[in-house]
Amino acid sequence: MFKTILEVAYKNAFLRKSRAILLILMIGLSMGIMVGLEGLYNGMYVHMIDKSMRSDSGEIALYAKQYRLENDIKYRIENSEIKVERLAKLSGVDFVLRRLQVEGLAQTATKSNPAKVIGIDLKDEEKFGKFSDFLKSGELNFGKNGIFVGSELAKNLKIKIGSKVIFTTQDSNLEIASVALRVKAIIQTSNIGLDERGIYLPRERAAALMAVDPNSATQIAIRSDSEEIALLQEQIKGLFPNLEVYTFMELYPQLKQMQSMMDIFNAITFTIVMIVVFIGILGVMYVSILDRIREFGILLSIGYAYRYIRIQIISEAFFLGFAGYLLGSLIGFLLLSYMKIYGLDLSMFAEGMESFGMSSTLYATIESTYFISTFFAIVIASVLSVIPPLRKIKKLNPVEVIRDAG
Amino acid sequence: MFRLALKNTLYYRGRSITTFLLTFISAYFFIVYVAFTDGSHSSMLKNALEVYTGSLQIYQKEYRDEGGYDYLIEDTEKVFELLNHTEGLKAYSSRLETYGIASSKERSAAIMLTGVDFAKEAQLSELKKAFTEGVYDSKGACLYLGSDLAKKLQVKIGNEVSFVGSAIDYSFVAELFKACGIFKTGMYDFDTQSAFMNREYFDQIFYSQNSSSYIAAMANKMQENDQIAGQITQALPKDLKVYTWEELMKPMVELMEIDSIFGYISMGLFFLVIFFVIMIYGFINVSARIKEFGILKSIGLSDRNIDALLLYEIVILTLAALAVATPLGAYTAYYFEAHPIVIEGMSDMYKEYGVVSDEVPTLFVPFTVAWNTALVFVLNLLSVLYPMFYVRSYTPTEAMRHV
Repeated sequence: MFKTILEVAYKNAFLRKSRAILLILMIGLSMGIMVGLEGLYNGMYVHMIDKSMRSDSGEIALYAKQYRLENDIKYRIENSEIKVERLAKLSGVDFVLRRLQVEGLAQTATKSNPAKVIGIDLKDEEKFGKFSDFLKSGELNFGKNGIFVGSELAKNLKIKIGSKVIFTTQDSNLEIASVALRVKAIIQTSNIGLDERGIYLPRERAAALMAVDPNSATQIAIRSDSEEIALLQEQIKGLFPNLEVYTFMELYPQLKQMQSMMDIFNAITFTIVMIVVFIGILGVMYVSILDRIREFGILLSIGYAYRYIRIQIISEAFFLGFAGYLLGSLIGFLLLSYMKIYGLDLSMFAEGMESFGMSSTLYATIESTYFISTFFAIVIASVLSVIPPLRKIKKLNPVEVIRDAG
Repeated sequence: MFRLALKNTLYYRGRSITTFLLTFISAYFFIVYVAFTDGSHSSMLKNALEVYTGSLQIYQKEYRDEGGYDYLIEDTEKVFELLNHTEGLKAYSSRLETYGIASSKERSAAIMLTGVDFAKEAQLSELKKAFTEGVYDSKGACLYLGSDLAKKLQVKIGNEVSFVGSAIDYSFVAELFKACGIFKTGMYDFDTQSAFMNREYFDQIFYSQNSSSYIAAMANKMQENDQIAGQITQALPKDLKVYTWEELMKPMVELMEIDSIFGYISMGLFFLVIFFVIMIYGFINVSARIKEFGILKSIGLSDRNIDALLLYEIVILTLAALAVATPLGAYTAYYFEAHPIVIEGMSDMYKEYGVVSDEVPTLFVPFTVAWNTALVFVLNLLSVLYPMFYVRSYTPTEAMRHV
């Protein structure tokens, strides 16, 4: 019986081809674009987080007390090597590195710009965040007095590979220290702070410039695959009570806020689109049932149970919704696949996007949740849309319906 | 035909109510959405321009590409004379920027030190409005420091600050100043890097009399800015160049364009769904009336007459919805322009992205409201094309036999 009901429902759902096609197109196109947008926005956000983590703090970062407030090398982590070794042994920790950072002034013969020297270990950076991915031009080889410069800083100073830069800062003895450096590479991390100010040089040379012990650091950053970052943070706080331990989201609250805003925006878009889709399905189902009201009257009068009619109508709505869902999934998947592989090229706006720490090519992410949540929303919209017509059938007096229609 | 269409819209209430509501919602939200997008963009730009940049700037041609003291404007007074005779300018002033290391007792920081005419800046920019403590219009060896820079250097009003840099003849400059004033604009980079001093004393120590890095000016009306820039360009010596705010703020303008594009894509999604629903309801309505159209055709109405009838119906419904949505949307846009929504802490959170205010205003521009409304109107007209085509596919006999 149930199989027959489903067969009848399937045939009825697609009986009026024009209506059915319009409805499927509506669901398919709107869902496809909605999923595409969700994946693109999410991709933009995920890539921003990924690049910020890889280029700066990782999942967790440690600083000396007061450092983040004062930004002064006076507040640095001593004996950082031992601390790095201890941290690397913790479960859930993938990789640990340390950096030395100081602010100062970068100057060429004609231009000056505030900058910060970041002392790094190139091999560690590669393991930590695949530093070579950030290379925009030049080569990742410091050589004798080479530096890597953030892309926006290079633009502001009008420097290119081979240009000479003087960096002046205040060392740990409060003396003004200057060093002449040669640009070996331009780095683009899409992390505004680093691209606008960053000058990378080997950590030992940075330590010499700052007149600090090479074994000291201003930041220890941790990559972790742990699902329980908060627990790991607490564990590290216990290990090093004299240091400040932050998770990525504590260091980049604007990204957290951005995520919340994006989630709200996606939820609102999703809800509005689904309400309108619901109205569309409702219209089609209502008219489809009104067209066949006599048919239902006859069925009821010969003893066909109302629950069978209900199953049939719900199934009809489901088939229509599901067909739309399949089309939407296909469109969405194709859109997302294209944007995941080739990206959305916005290089005509490159200057603006790069200045604000975004890549000029946006890549989408594909996640099963986009399709699962949409599936449930469409099923719910489809099933809900048949409630008003079902109520109408329930109130039917079979005799009156057959008489009126006759 | 119009009367018949009017009767039909009143008779087929389900379709009319749905079309009316969806048109109303799409038009109203579109007007309000665009007003908020344009408003927040315009506010960001306005803040950035008014705080310091101005609506146009005049440079020696190579200065923005090459930079440095070799490309300064050498005869500032001559340009001032020209600007004096230019109509539509609210204010203008010359600035000379130099970079160096500023040090307090224990702290040093890289800063941009700018020599300005404080009186003119009070007209041109918001430097005076941004004043928080000390003295704004100080004379002699006095610095007007950004609040975050003062914090970084750990200086208070009256403390000494030394500056090491170079004069415009590239000789070494080392000077001892007093912190005389503190300002806070809310612009992140600006407040952490900038210090100002009066131009007279600046010229004495940097040997920069009558020279400028650039001259900034503000137009009375932003919409006349390009025209004024054109006038000035024609009268300027050939080695000088005018940059309008679009060129000066190119990254921000581009980012806003991107934001608008994504916004329109999202709105496009709503329009697509609403367009389909209106079309589906129109189509359902038309398919239920096929018999009626068969009769109309058989008594002599042409396909064009039927098209006109369907067009009238959608026009009546659309205009009715727009008649309510447009003034309501326009009023919302107008109201929030005067009373912006305030999101506490937003400027602090997004300071790196150039957000300097917690206010999110709308921008009420009648032309924008008009094109928003026109777009919804056109989309509704397009939604009736398929139903028209569907009706045309029936001959009068087929239509009258239609069940």
